[in-house]
Parts: sequence; C-alpha cells; structure tokens
Amino acid sequence: MTDLPHRDKPAEPSKYGGGPEEEEEEEDDVDDSAYKTVKDAVLFAIDVSESMLQTPKVVVPKKPDTALSPTVAALKCAYALMQQRIISNPNDMMGILLFGTEKSKFQDGDEETGKGGLQYPHCYLLTDLDVPAASDVKLLRAMVEDEEEASKLLQSSTEEVSMANVLFCANQIFTTKAPNFSSRRLFLVTDNDYPHASNRDARNSAAVRAKDLYDLGVTIELFPISHPDRGYTFDRSNFYNDIVYSATPSDPDAPAPLTNDIKSASSSAKDGISLLQALLSSVASRAAPRRALFGNLAFEIGPGLKISVKGFILLKRQEPKRTSYIYLPSDSERPQVAVGSSTLMAEDTARSVEKVEIRTAYKFGGETVSFTEEEMAKIRYFGDPVIRIIGFKPMDMLPIWANYKHNTFIYPSEEEYIGSTRVFSALQQKLLKDNLFGLAWFIPRKNAVPTLAAVYAGAEKRNEEGEQVMPPGLWLKPLPFADDIREPPETNSIKAPDELVDAMRVIVQQLQLPKAIYDPSKYPNPSLQWFYKILQALALEEDLPDAAEDKTLPRWKQIHRRAGPYVVDFGDALEKHYADWQRENGSKVHPTANGAAKRSTPAATGGAKKVKTEDGGDTGPTDEEMRSAYQKDAIAKFTVASLKAFLVAKGQSATGKKPDLVNAVTQYFETRMETD
Amino acid sequence: MAGKEATVYIVDCGSTMGERSHGRKETNLDWALQYVWDRITSTVATARKTTLVGVVGLRTDSTASAMDHDESYSNINVFQPIDQILMPQLRRLRDELVVSSTPAGDCISALAIAVGMIVQKCKKLQYARKIVIITDARGSVDAEDLSKIVGKMNADNMELVVLGVDFDDAEYGFKEEDKDETKAENEAILQTLCNDCSTATFGTLAQAIDELGTPRLKSTKPVASFKGLLTLGNPQEYESALAIGVERYPRVMQAKPPTASKFVMRGDMTATQPTQSTATMSGSDEAPNDGLASVKQARTYQVKDEEAAGGKKDVDFDELSKGYEYGRTAVHISESDRNVTTYETTSSLDIIGFVDKSKYERYLEMDRSNLIVGNKNDDKNTIALSSLIHALYELESYAVARLVTKDNKEPRLMLLAPNIEPDFECLWDVELPFAEDVRSYKFPPLDRVVTVSGKTLTVHRNLPSDELQDSISTYVDSMDLSTFGKDDETNEAEYAAMDETYSPMLHRINQVTKHRAVYQDAEPPPPYEILTRYAHPPADLVKQSQKSLDKVIKAADVKKVPPKARGKRFGRKGREEKPLSDLDVGALLASDPKRNTKRIDPRNAIPEFKQILNIGSDDVSAVQDAVKQLKNIMFEWIKHSVGDSGYGKAVEAIRVMREEMNDLDRPGPYNDAMQELKQKLLKEELGGERREMWFLVRRNKLGLLQQSDSSESEVTEEQAKLFLSAKL
Repeated sequence: MTDLPHRDKPAEPSKYGGGPEEEEEEEDDVDDSAYKTVKDAVLFAIDVSESMLQTPKVVVPKKPDTALSPTVAALKCAYALMQQRIISNPNDMMGILLFGTEKSKFQDGDEETGKGGLQYPHCYLLTDLDVPAASDVKLLRAMVEDEEEASKLLQSSTEEVSMANVLFCANQIFTTKAPNFSSRRLFLVTDNDYPHASNRDARNSAAVRAKDLYDLGVTIELFPISHPDRGYTFDRSNFYNDIVYSATPSDPDAPAPLTNDIKSASSSAKDGISLLQALLSSVASRAAPRRALFGNLAFEIGPGLKISVKGFILLKRQEPKRTSYIYLPSDSERPQVAVGSSTLMAEDTARSVEKVEIRTAYKFGGETVSFTEEEMAKIRYFGDPVIRIIGFKPMDMLPIWANYKHNTFIYPSEEEYIGSTRVFSALQQKLLKDNLFGLAWFIPRKNAVPTLAAVYAGAEKRNEEGEQVMPPGLWLKPLPFADDIREPPETNSIKAPDELVDAMRVIVQQLQLPKAIYDPSKYPNPSLQWFYKILQALALEEDLPDAAEDKTLPRWKQIHRRAGPYVVDFGDALEKHYADWQRENGSKVHPTANGAAKRSTPAATGGAKKVKTEDGGDTGPTDEEMRSAYQKDAIAKFTVASLKAFLVAKGQSATGKKPDLVNAVTQYFETRMETD
Repeated sequence: MAGKEATVYIVDCGSTMGERSHGRKETNLDWALQYVWDRITSTVATARKTTLVGVVGLRTDSTASAMDHDESYSNINVFQPIDQILMPQLRRLRDELVVSSTPAGDCISALAIAVGMIVQKCKKLQYARKIVIITDARGSVDAEDLSKIVGKMNADNMELVVLGVDFDDAEYGFKEEDKDETKAENEAILQTLCNDCSTATFGTLAQAIDELGTPRLKSTKPVASFKGLLTLGNPQEYESALAIGVERYPRVMQAKPPTASKFVMRGDMTATQPTQSTATMSGSDEAPNDGLASVKQARTYQVKDEEAAGGKKDVDFDELSKGYEYGRTAVHISESDRNVTTYETTSSLDIIGFVDKSKYERYLEMDRSNLIVGNKNDDKNTIALSSLIHALYELESYAVARLVTKDNKEPRLMLLAPNIEPDFECLWDVELPFAEDVRSYKFPPLDRVVTVSGKTLTVHRNLPSDELQDSISTYVDSMDLSTFGKDDETNEAEYAAMDETYSPMLHRINQVTKHRAVYQDAEPPPPYEILTRYAHPPADLVKQSQKSLDKVIKAADVKKVPPKARGKRFGRKGREEKPLSDLDVGALLASDPKRNTKRIDPRNAIPEFKQILNIGSDDVSAVQDAVKQLKNIMFEWIKHSVGDSGYGKAVEAIRVMREEMNDLDRPGPYNDAMQELKQKLLKEELGGERREMWFLVRRNKLGLLQQSDSSESEVTEEQAKLFLSAKL
C-alpha cells in the first residue's frame, strides 16, 4: 500500500493558510487559484459490467492479485488511494461511484425506492464525495476483502446504463459536495470503449454531459482496460475521445500532456504485472493534482532577457498530522473535532483588536522600536519577485553542505513570455552538459525575503517501463549566507595511514546500494507509516499492530556476509596502527590540549581549566558512579554539566533546571531497573 | 553564548569636534557618533546582562568622575558607568554626547579613568576588557605616567582601540594635508601607546565607519546534535561489525531576522495620539512607557451541533482532550495511550550502503546540513573515521546512513559525504527524502517534443534552434563568476562566495532598528551596499558579455504577452473548446431543445451559464439575462441554505460570474449583481442572518470589478475597497 505517492497540503498560494514559515510573506501575489478553495476532489467511477466482473483466465500462481476481476482490482486501487490520501491529503475529498449495477443509490440513503434510484438508474454511490471517514475505509475494505459482501453489490444490470446519466450524476455530486474546489477530477475505470454502440443520440447526450463537466471545471481521467486474453483492445476513438478534453487542444504539433502516455491496462497478467499493479501505478502518477508553488515568475537570464517560469515542490518532508482538540460529549456520542478560531486581543484591556489597529514593533533594549506600515513596507522591499541570474559557476563550487531546505523545481511557462520554453530548454541543456550552475537573486513572492540560490539542471529520469520518475527542468537550491554557516568544533586532525584507507576501501566497495544510487521509493518513512497504521487501527476500532516494517534498517545479515571478513581485517589493522600512533604521540601530549592549542591562537589563558571541563563534560559520570548515586539518592550531588552529559550520552532529553535533570536521571534508572 | 564583556568608550566632545572637516556635511562628532551608536546599539539590541558598556566624555563642559577633585582630570565626564545598557541609558547618552564649548581636557587622563572603571568593575573576573578612544587628537595628550597605565592594561589583558578623526593611515590610504602640528604630535603619541599595548588597534575613523557596512557575524558555540556510534553492521549480533564513536554538529543553521511583535495603542491612550509616531523615545523627559500594549491571541473552540443556531456550538477548552483526525473521523487518544503513535527507536547512526557520487542528484537534499567528526576523547575514533573519509573520497562515493538522534525520535536517512581539508576532516551529512516525500509530477521533455499525434520532433518552436543553443552557451561561458572576484591579495577568486554574502533581511532589520533607536525622527537609511550587491550581475561582467547576450536575445525572440490577452478568452473567441476528437459539441448543444430556451437549470447552473455566454457573448441582452438568471439562482441557494450548506455553491457562482464578466470586459452586470447581493445579505433578506456568507465573499476577495480590472468599469479602487467592508 505504499506504492502511491504521498503529498501533504500544497504550499498554499491562497490567503487562508500557510505554516509559520509563510507568516511573514502573507502579502503574496494574487494568482487565479487564490479565488478557489485549494483542495482536490476525486470521484472514482467504476464500471460494473459483465465483462468487468470476469476474472482473468490466466492466473499467475503465488500472485493472488492476478486473479482479481477488473472491477475488484479497481476497488482495491480506490481503497489504497483512499488510505493514502488520508495521510497525504488530509483535507481533500474522495468518493466512489459504481455504474452499471443492478442496484441504484444516490445521496442521502435513498436506496432503490428513493428518488435517487429513479434519477440515476444503475448508478450506485458507494461512498459519497467527502473527506473520507473511518466508516468509508471500513466499507471499502469489506468490499475488497469479503467476497460475499461484494457479490451482493457487484451485480451488473441487464440493461445498459446511460453514460449521459452517469456523467450528470458525477456532475451533481461535484456541484453539491465540492463547490468551488480548484481541482475536481473524475477517475473513470472501464473496459467498454463503445457504450451505446448502436444509439447515436445516447452517445451525443453523453458528449453534451461531458461538456457540462468540462465547463464545470471537472477533468475526466480515463483508466481504460483491455483484455488481451479475450483479444480485446480498448480503442479510445470509438467514444472516449468525444468525452475527454485535453488541456492544450487543436494544435496537432502541441506537446502531448504526459498523462496521455498512459496505456490501457491489461486485465490479464502480463510480464507478471497484474492489473491491480498497473492500475495502482497509473493512478499513482495522477493522484496528486499538480499545483504550482509560484506561477509565472520572471526568470531573468541576463539584463533584458526575461522568460517566465513556474515553481513546483517535488520533494518535501511529509510529517505526521499534528494533534487536534477532540470534544467527547458526556452522553457518549461519537467524538468530534473541535474547530478553533482565534481573535486578537489587547493585553492591557483584553478588548478585541481589529487587524488595522495592529502595529509591528521590534523589541529593542528592553523597549520597542516601531515603524509605520509604509516604512516597514519600504524597509522590507528588495525589489519585485524574480529569479535573476547574476552569473555562472562550475558545480564543484557548490559544496554538498550548502543546503538548508528542500529544493524547488522550475519549469517554463509560455503564459507571460512567448518563447520561454525554448530559452529555458537551451539553458537547461547547457548547464547539464557543462556541469554548471547559475547563481541567482531569488524573491519567490511579493515581499518575500530575498535569498541567493543555485539554479542547476536536472535530467529527465525514466524507469524500466519508460515511465517518467523525475521530470527534466531546473532546480533552485537556496544557499546559506555567511550568517548561516557554522564553524566546526575544534578537533584533532589525524589522517589515517594508507593501509587503513585501503582496508576501508574494500569494505565500501562490497556494500554498494543497488545501481549505486539512492532511490527514495525504496524507503518509506517508518515513523510516518507506523503513526498512520496506529491511527487507522484506532479509528476503525481494531487491534493495534504489534510490529512495524522498517525498510530503513540496514540489512545486517547481508552486511555481515559480504563485508564481515574485511571489517575484521580493518579492525585488526586499526588496532595495530593505533598502538603505533600512541607510541609516537599519545604519551607525550594530551591530544585534546594539543589540538586546542594549535587552533586557538590568542587567549591561551585558562587552558588547563578548559581541558578539564571538556573532558568531564563530554562523557559525564560513568554508569557505575551514577547508578550508585541513584541508589544512595545522591544524584543531586553531580553538577548540572555532568547530569546533562550523562543524559545526552543515554539519548535522553537534557533540558531544564537542575531538579528537572535530577528527575530525568532518576526516571532513567527507574525504567532501567524494570528492564534489567 | 558569548562570554562576559566590558567595554568603555571614550568619546571626544571637544569644541574642535564641532568642525566640519574634509567636506563632510555633519560635524566631526556626529560623524564619529555614527560609529559609536552602531557599536552601542548593537549591545543594546542584545539586551544581555553580561555585556557591559561604559561611556566617558572627553573635553566636556562639565566634570564628573571618581577623580574629579584632581585638576588634571577636569573636563572629563563619566556619562555612563560600566553597566548593562538599555534604551533609557541610550536616550540619556544621546542628549549628553554633544559638542562642548571647550578645547580643554586630557585624553590620557580619560584613559586612566576608563582603566580604573574596568579594574573596579571587573576585578579579576573573566571579562573581555576593551577601551575604545574616539578623538580628533587636538586636545591635550599628556604622555606622563603613560607607561604605568599601559602596564596595568597589559597586566589585565585590556584591549585598546584608538580611532582618530582624519588620522593618517597608509594602509587605508589616507593622509591629511596641512595637518595641525599638535594633532600630528598627538597622533604619534597615540600610535606609540598602541604599539606598547599587547592587544591594540590604531586606525583612522573613516575606515571604521566604512566597515560598518559589512555586517558582523555572530559566532555560535558548536553544540552537538548527536553523539554516539557510527556503525557498519550490527555490533550486538555480529563480531564483524564496526563502530566508531562520533559527534555531529550543525553546519548550516539559518539565521533569522528578528521578528516583529504585534502591538496596539494602549487603552489609556487617546485617539489623538499621532499614529505615525515612533512612540519609543519622544525625548528624555518622558517615561519609558512606549504607549503600546502587546496583542495576544484568544482561542475559542466550536463543534458541530445541529440543534444550535448556525449549526455550531461553543465548547469550553476544559472539555476538550487531545487526539487526531483520521480523514474526517475524530480519534481520541487517552492520556495513558499518548505514546502509542510513537515509533520506538534507539539513538543510532547506521550505514546502510554506499552510492556513487557521479550518480547522485543534488535536489535530493532536504534539510540543514551537519558535519560528523570522531569523538574527541578517543583518537582511535578519529583515525577510524579518517579511513572512511579517505576511502569515500578515493572511490568518489557517498555513504547512506540511518540516523536516530535520540531515543524514540523518528529515523532519518542521511547522505554522508567526505570532506578533507589540510587541518580538518569530517563527513558532511544532509537529509535524504523518503518515498512519501516525493511527489510524482510529470512534465514534458525539454530536448524533444512528443506531439498529440504521437510524433517525436526535434525542431519545434518550443525547442532551441542551433543558433539559440550556441549563443546561450557562449553567453553562459562569458558570465563565469568562478574567477571574477578578488581575494585579499587581489588574486582572481570566486565572486560572491558564500562566506562573502550576507542575509539581506537580517541585516536590514538590524540596521534600521539600530538607526531608529538613536535617530527616532529620521527616515530609515538606505540598505548597506553589500546587502544588495548580488541582486544584479556585476556591471563589468555584463558589459563584457553584452555582445553575446545580444545574440541570445536575437535568437531567442522572446515576446511578452500583452496583459489583456492573457485571459482565457484570448484565442478562445470563435474557437469552441473541443474534446480530443474534434467533435462539434457546440452544434450538439445548439440542437438540444432544452438548452435552446436559454433558461438555466439550477442543477446545472455553472455549465449552462458559461454555454450561453459562449454562444452569445456579443448579444448584450443575452449576457445580461444570463447574469440575472445566475444571480437569482445564487440568491435562492443562499436563502435555502441550512447553516452554511449552500454558501460554497453561491461563492462558486459569484466567482464564475466575476471571471466571465471580466473576460468579456463587461463589469457592469456583475457589479450590479454584487451590490444587490450585499444589500440583501446585510439587510437579512436572504433567509435571515447571513453574515458568514458575506465573510466568505470578502475572504475570497470577490469584490467589484474595478478600473484596474477593466477599462469599462466605473468603480474606483476606493469604492471597491469600501464595498468589501462590512458596512452598507
């Protein structure tokens, strides 16, 4: 279930959100998405026809996935997507609509008899479009895991379902449940490339309803299924090319949107890839609606040469959800999430304050120094938003440590400057070929803090199946300023002798990762996965899982098998060389004092004292000392520094005043005693 | 944390300091004070109790010091005894440091007093002691007893800085012509004084003031972010495992500009208080009350309740407990189960494998970098780590490791890269992304075009011509910065190296707050040159590359899209959107009997509204009628909305109406509809109290179309602003 990409809330271009980081930049440029709620709504429409319910003839043994009928595979895929979106897009909506079913059901539980059934016959709204609830996950799981449960619903109707009706049903769901969403998408899974084959009027009505969806701003994403084992290949031109709209119409020379690459999935296992896997991967590639971090920013390659680019966040740390406040009604109803709202209040009189009254001031020397709004605007103004190249340097002048946040991907846009793409492409190819980066003055948004950034090229990467895994473009790496660079601590520099380096080299060569690259998709975040596993179990009122899978753990056995003997050799060599080294240096000078004296030129005063605190401070008291103190209830006799050092060495938190530290040490031993 | 410091500034206020020398606009004292205020306000800004400042006025009209009974110490005034310095003291000093009417007063006596002040305050304690003399050297400099003072200063490790108004300085390149004879003599004495002191700087003031524009870096004592074992293999299970004691320290840590706090005028202040005032320091008489009250946030919580008015009810904070949201389901976690969501880990740093440097992509770097060195207490660690560092370096490889900084902290995957300097070795580490951190957005290739019809093109308007590719290549090469800079010895060096770049916002805010603290009524000064130096390419380089740039511009042929054409309507007119198949949907729509009536079906309102406009956008009455229909449908939605259930749809209708009318350049019908909406909402004519709906209109910025949106509009910016207020 970890095959799908995860995504948290977008870096909102909207006014009403944003993390603490964005606070200073609240006067963002208005772009058109700001008018809409920046949310995504996905409605899965799954065909439940006779042929969609047929299980494949050829089944790969040991791969139960290959025995699924297309409908069940699609449901499984929707189930995976739902779980994933709860993690990655907690505010986005999802719904599942079955069509071609014998039963009919629309909103508000009007099953069979209600008007919903009459309105949209053979459309069964399995879960309504909404932020998924635990009950939706449960229902869906029952469908995919309990065949009996599923077979009650998964019965195809004898008469053909009207596609116009299906599309209008989707229209109504989007209109009522997801009004004003910036992204509304209908994921259509079917193997029928020619519905209403003999009824032109019915096909035309469907085309009209499809146009309605287009005008409503709903995108139809088609997931076609072929049946090679039955000699059937899905042909879009029969019907679906009248239904699906492209973002860039009519120009035959226009670059095709990449989503068109997606081939129809095959219902029978081909090359060991099951339909489910194929569906999962094509859904994964479209699961995240593409949202720009900034749109149409001026990219000035030289004075007088401007093009426009858009910025995207392709890599961002996904964090577990923060805690919410929950209201548990006394009459044991279901718990509810309490929605907080804050009002600003003057500290002296506790009256509420309007935004216009607020002035900003800086704390300064015990008082405040304030500026008017105009002054502040002028002070903070460093020019309009821009990426302005001021020159180029070779990539080896970009040290690996020069990083403090995720990098931003940029891609050209023709919306402000026609010709942007070709210029961008020329620059990208040049930088890629000669291993150069541009140094740029970078202001992402109006009033944003200016930074210097390295603009470097990223090549397109595709996997074995030819699917793009990393797009081609340029990347922006915000660079640290002198103020941000920390000096290293004082150390003794002792270079290892060549024999030792040679011994280590063998080890390194034994333990290369596959293809000698780091592939993020191989490493799900273990704490994040655990967090949601637990949360899901709690939400569904199930037993908690007892162990987590952690793919980030080293493969101990493999390391031992492949490098073990070499490590032992290295260890022996190290002991020998260290003994030699000690004979030459060790006894004469205290190494720490030696290193310190070399580096710190002035102020050799108090050197002896410094060495002493450093030695004591680093390791802290030994376990024995501390344990005996604990037993005598005499931990407090240690100094704060010793306590802290002890706690740090034990991986415990070492903050607070002395009583806190004493408590922490006591607690450490208390828990230790139990396990000992 | 910085150590304890005690600094005494001796400021020459003699009458000669009132002169304006060498064409400067301000008096010599005001000029000198630029330096003094910069240093003192830097100290004030830290508000640190252990950074002490004393200020001694030299050649002042009055006399006040521990030695003021002695005649040779006259015209010396201790304005500020050594102590912590805050705004009130600064305010006072500002009024005291003015040009006096006397040329009398001895510089060395002032130095003696300063030495005395330090000795008395600092005793034998751990202080960084420093005396700064700022003078024009035109008063008396009595060298008698000097050796005794120097002896004491050296014994107590006091640093001396002498900064002279227009002193000669060959290194800086300044020589004063026609120098006053006394001044020349005095300069020589002060120079000798500095030579005799063990730590001393002697310089001309102009240089010191120049250097104010170069920000000072704060040094931070390195604090380890991890201490433990770097392991290869599992030492608990296998004999063959390797474990090296290491320490990890931050390498990059963003220095953030000070943040402003929010304030309002105090409740007892009247409305007549001038709003533009910088209430901080309106003269020394006023109490240090700055008239501002800080702003706090008060939070209230609501839950859904169908019985309550508005569908929500307030709940007390005490009634709430912590939990999480799983989708839209609330999950309560009891106090005792608080830790179940924590993934249990043990503090560790384990290598999981090695990768090739050449195949590594720089965009994978996620967070602040750190560095890893061997544990200081055992040189064996340093040697072992050094062999890993060198092995990685020689093999052009990086290590990938799993790091848990503390027990039960989440694991992170790190890239470890070798760093070898002549006297320093370490591993740099940067965080790598997990599977969940990668968003698979797809973009078309840049070096070829795959068309809708499936052809692959290498010549296309979106691809660079050979001419463009060649000219860009030449231009990029000509803009090389790697040797454009100069090092200290004027050799070629990297231009804009990272250690020469300063955080513009951080130093800008520091600059203006310090300035305002002293000069309350003055405009904030322009930013230091160095803060904006790298906003543009260096002028010389641009000039040099102009020819190649011109070639690029010609080959690129980039054209700006005129603003009005950017709308959706651009290129849409006369060309109906078509599905992939080119099916004429317009004709189908036109032949649909239901749609021919031009009556908008409320269930399908948005599409049908757009379709009517698409067919008949030139027909004024048709457009007006469509807007009217949609308006009435929207009113109905609001009117029949249970709580806020219909608001979303209404907001969408307004948005679409606004966009379409803007595209058609017909602001009138939309603006009329919005005026009507506001009236009805605020007069509660749409099913009662609908303030929240109006709030949504404001929050979504769905205001009137004004003149800046459309030339057809009669609405001014002022009117548009007024419209979005909550008043009628």
